[in-house]
Amino acid sequence: MSERHAEGAFDPVMLEVLWTRLISVVDEASAALLRTSFSTLVYESLDFSCVICDEDGNSLVQGTGSIPSFIGTVPRSVKHFIADIGKENMRPGDVLILNDPWKGTGHLPDITVCRPIFREGRIVAFSGSTAHAPDIGGHLRSALPREVFEEGFFMPPMKFIHEGKPDDTFFKLLRAAVRTPDETVGDLWAQVTAHELMAKRLIEVMAEYGLASLKELAAEIQGRCERAMRAAIRAVPDGTYHAEAAMDGSGSPITLKLALTISGDEVICDYAGSSPAQGNAVNAPLCYTFAYTSYALKCVFSPSLPNNEGVFRAVRVMAPEGSILNPRFPTAVGLRAMVGHYLPPMVLSALADVAPHRVMAGPGSPIWNITQSGVRPNGKTYANTMFFNGGMGALASRDGEQCLCWPSNASSSPVEVCEQVSPFFFHFKRLTPDSGGRGRHRGGLGQDVLVESESDTPVTVVFLAERTRNPAPGIKGGGPGGLGAVHINGEWKDAKGKYFLKKGDTLQLTLPGGGGFGPEAERDPGLVARDRLMGYVTR
Amino acid sequence: MRQEEIGVVSRYSLGIDIGGTFTDIVVYDRETGRQFNRKVLTTHGDPSIGVMTGIDTLLKEDGLKPEEMGRVVHATTLFTNSLIERKGAVTGLITTEGFRDTLEIGRERKYELYDIAIEKPAPLIPRNLRLEVGERIKHDGSVKTPLDEQRLDKVADELVKNGATSIAIVFLHSYKNPSHERSAAARVAKRHPKVAISASCDVAPEIREFERASTTAANAFIKPLAHVYLANIAGQLKGRQVRAPFQLMLSNGGLTNVEEAKRSPVQLLESGPAAGALAAAFFGTEDGGGNVLAFDMGGTTAKLSVVDNGQPLITYAFEAARQKRFIEGSGFPIRISSIELIEIGAGGGSIAHIDEIGLLKVGPQSAGSEPGPASYGRGGTNATVTDADFFLGYLNPDFFAGGTMKIDLKAAERAMAPLMKQTGLSLTEVAWGIYDVVNENMASAARVHIAERGKDPRRYAILATGGAGPVHAYYVAKKLGLRKVICPKAAGVASALGLLMAPARIDRVATVAVRIDQVKWTDLEAAYRKLEDNAKAVIAETGLDPKKAKVTRLADIRYVGQAFEVVVELPDGPYTAASKAALNEAFEKAYIEKFTRTPPDVPAEFINIRVSVKAEIAGSATEVTLAAGGKGKALKGKRPVYFPEAKGFVEAAVYDRYAMKPGDSFQGPAVVEERESTLIVGPGASFVVAPSGNLVVTVPQEGAA
Repeated sequence: MSERHAEGAFDPVMLEVLWTRLISVVDEASAALLRTSFSTLVYESLDFSCVICDEDGNSLVQGTGSIPSFIGTVPRSVKHFIADIGKENMRPGDVLILNDPWKGTGHLPDITVCRPIFREGRIVAFSGSTAHAPDIGGHLRSALPREVFEEGFFMPPMKFIHEGKPDDTFFKLLRAAVRTPDETVGDLWAQVTAHELMAKRLIEVMAEYGLASLKELAAEIQGRCERAMRAAIRAVPDGTYHAEAAMDGSGSPITLKLALTISGDEVICDYAGSSPAQGNAVNAPLCYTFAYTSYALKCVFSPSLPNNEGVFRAVRVMAPEGSILNPRFPTAVGLRAMVGHYLPPMVLSALADVAPHRVMAGPGSPIWNITQSGVRPNGKTYANTMFFNGGMGALASRDGEQCLCWPSNASSSPVEVCEQVSPFFFHFKRLTPDSGGRGRHRGGLGQDVLVESESDTPVTVVFLAERTRNPAPGIKGGGPGGLGAVHINGEWKDAKGKYFLKKGDTLQLTLPGGGGFGPEAERDPGLVARDRLMGYVTR
Repeated sequence: MRQEEIGVVSRYSLGIDIGGTFTDIVVYDRETGRQFNRKVLTTHGDPSIGVMTGIDTLLKEDGLKPEEMGRVVHATTLFTNSLIERKGAVTGLITTEGFRDTLEIGRERKYELYDIAIEKPAPLIPRNLRLEVGERIKHDGSVKTPLDEQRLDKVADELVKNGATSIAIVFLHSYKNPSHERSAAARVAKRHPKVAISASCDVAPEIREFERASTTAANAFIKPLAHVYLANIAGQLKGRQVRAPFQLMLSNGGLTNVEEAKRSPVQLLESGPAAGALAAAFFGTEDGGGNVLAFDMGGTTAKLSVVDNGQPLITYAFEAARQKRFIEGSGFPIRISSIELIEIGAGGGSIAHIDEIGLLKVGPQSAGSEPGPASYGRGGTNATVTDADFFLGYLNPDFFAGGTMKIDLKAAERAMAPLMKQTGLSLTEVAWGIYDVVNENMASAARVHIAERGKDPRRYAILATGGAGPVHAYYVAKKLGLRKVICPKAAGVASALGLLMAPARIDRVATVAVRIDQVKWTDLEAAYRKLEDNAKAVIAETGLDPKKAKVTRLADIRYVGQAFEVVVELPDGPYTAASKAALNEAFEKAYIEKFTRTPPDVPAEFINIRVSVKAEIAGSATEVTLAAGGKGKALKGKRPVYFPEAKGFVEAAVYDRYAMKPGDSFQGPAVVEERESTLIVGPGASFVVAPSGNLVVTVPQEGAA
């Protein structure tokens, strides 16, 4: 076995065995991160990922249930750490951190941590993780900031644990900058725990299999993924396919344009023609644009391939500098998800004619959330984020799923937990009948949520919310999904605004439904009758 | 019968274990330590037919009398199957106004990232049978809106009119204040006495409404079935003059009586595997020092469970009826106490294939029993784990299933040929690859499972059962760095024997949600007492003396702000303000064991408190002597067997398990054959027949294979 390795060739058995083993390492670390975390973002919504990269920052494995965008971004962040800090300046026991949106995941609340893993005095790998912090200071996560400086505490790639010793100054500054010092810092320690585990276990695996380096293994796995992806791309006819999406924006409408070119075994996604960068926080840095474009391509071409960067070598993504999909520093980017989550449906829509069985109608995404913050009667500040999801788009084979997170993968928080950790009282959280786009297959239903503030002190609320002006489109003749809406005390509100709730004020979120697939006339009468009986469709 | 002390009246105990394919009947004689067993096919239409056939045959052929049975213990997969196949009662849900869709909306998360055609598990209760009533309790337990009883009557009538024979009642925050659920349950029961009622405060009184509703819905779905089935089988046993008390095994390995089982049948979901884990604990006590990784590998799946200090690990959350390849998140969350099990979709029948990037994968597709592995010669053309096992010489084609099946080795080779072509490996390398990959699947699952509990895998001995367990255990042990492999005799019926080893055990839980520095100690003590009294009442119903029961107090504790609790075993009560330090210390110790460090400056809080009350049963099979045997010559001959240490086939000794005597010792490489399975022992290992009757293999210490 070690002889084979020396020759640089891994056989299919050895590869599979090692691969399984490495996945178990990141999964164990992910479980530890989850179970030691302090914010609902991690422990209820699972908004985090763990990754192991080789000594050059090429990804090897990611946790099984990761957030799709982080899979694309974490290895890139590791490469930034290497470039900015320099391997020669890293010591055993160092732990690194960044949240620079252009080098991280596209916005400040995602904290990316990295640890160089040493074996016999040299770096053999890097562990990486990203977790969404409950608060990062600045404006609450809203559309309002105009520059990234307003959006919170900015961390360039830097060390925050030096050879095992935490940097007290750093922790003092971070605690002082955020509304949730205990949770933000508690989650950061949960990440550190996960990195300790990844380092320990990886060293065990390398020792057991006599691996001096992970480079060849990474190259082998990535090479295989790349070849499989290229083969899948080659099977789709060459050509340039177009898609367009209209976003709500706030004030002026926003258009996203995609020209997707299949050329042999390569895919080129060009977002030329999309709106320019906005004067608010609705902008997605290129790292995020890339991550979600690639995610959708993987869904279409190689859904069962391992999570791996090799898949993305056959993919090129470009967006004009200064556009909404590639804004320059220091543009505000806090709501990058509101832009980025439109990209996967656009990719699917572009491919609808050449790969109709592998695409779905427009889903009720982007993900929605309420971020709320205030001062408790005891003088303590708090902040809290709750996620909600609309319906999935219908497929060639069946109706869309109701209320499912796509393309992201954050869980909703239980109502009973929300009522415990926030001053909101929930009046209802239920499916919205008739919100699924009509068609041969119906779009998934969205949901309707009504909460009331019971706080004696004012509560500030901001939202992630889209498709309040432009519904999720159907495809192949299917109808659009139901519109989303935000109401405060029964009054329609611009979802990009910031609002203050007094005691007794109500807030209603109506999540968009998914689009339909195919003409409604072709719908199975049995399904029509079932929808009536279940109350999914009332009209 | 209630006041009668169980098991003292007679020398025999009867265990009945209904599995998916076979029903095992075992009788244990506590005077001689002998056991008798029969395997019959499970009769799916009416499982009691198979049970009674088995019992009748066993009693007749072994000359036993039904009235000599002192106790009867039963485990069944019937309820799990009913969930998987969705063959349960027409079930209705009555819930808080505004929340009928909780069951359908779920947690909104994908269990697979890249599959756009992902399907959530459809709720057991369809939307038209989920109705709402006005009522609302707040998170602090206060009543915001009183229960609308008129509306309640109306929706209950409507559900019954639509055919519901079982109703689940789930109100928000009922774990904190169950009064609305209790009065609603009583009112509906009075109005519709034939309808089965399940209130979430009784079934799973824990925070998180989706998980609680899911557990309650599952309970309601199987409850009418459980009523009929349990009454039927108890009646038939009486009709056979088996007058002994009839007990059920719970998913947590405890025992309960028929009444408790009818109230909360969801607690029986994992009763069969629980019996298996108890059997592993029993067989591992003497030779494994009580720390055992139980490895049960059958035809389509493998199950792993961990036994620590003689006790199987317990979990308080699992998933039933995973619809997609055992992926976490694709089943129904169930919040009850259960033996902690990992189920892996790989067994002897699992099919090997090359995936799209050229890696060799095994499972989760299985050749099942029809057509089965290619080597069975029944038309199977896919290469399976069993085919590789034959090719490598691990299984004996002339003695498979005791020689009752004809094996076609050429068919196994033909099935593996395409894999050779795709990988460029030799036939031997492909066969070893299949064997090695499936072993790594097992080892990785075990590694994560054990590591998540903060334990070092190397402290365990692996205990192999099931048809394929002993074939693979030795090399799984090597991957995990384990020193010892234990192979009990008659591993095929070990699980049924496990039934007869359990104490009566009743677990109870309540949510308290209070910081440790703000605990009112008299309240906490009273809350524990209440749970203990409730559990002891069930013990008394079972016919045992509650005064002799052992009470263990536990609590789910976390740091304020976290959401996942660590279940901590606490010192015995009663608690007073002076107990605070000891309780805190118990938590910190458990936390560090699991996560290596505690976060700085955060207080701890109790979320749930738990009690586990156990009563030993006289006549439990704690002294089974299975070490009989030792006739004839142990060495049957030699055959070529592949061992990776030798990088090829070597002539290995083949032994007859039935001819081995306690005290005999042997050297690997070796193969030990018995009817239901075959143990493989690698070169450099030694093994002995222990006084317990177990084969105990000492694995040589070296680097990984």
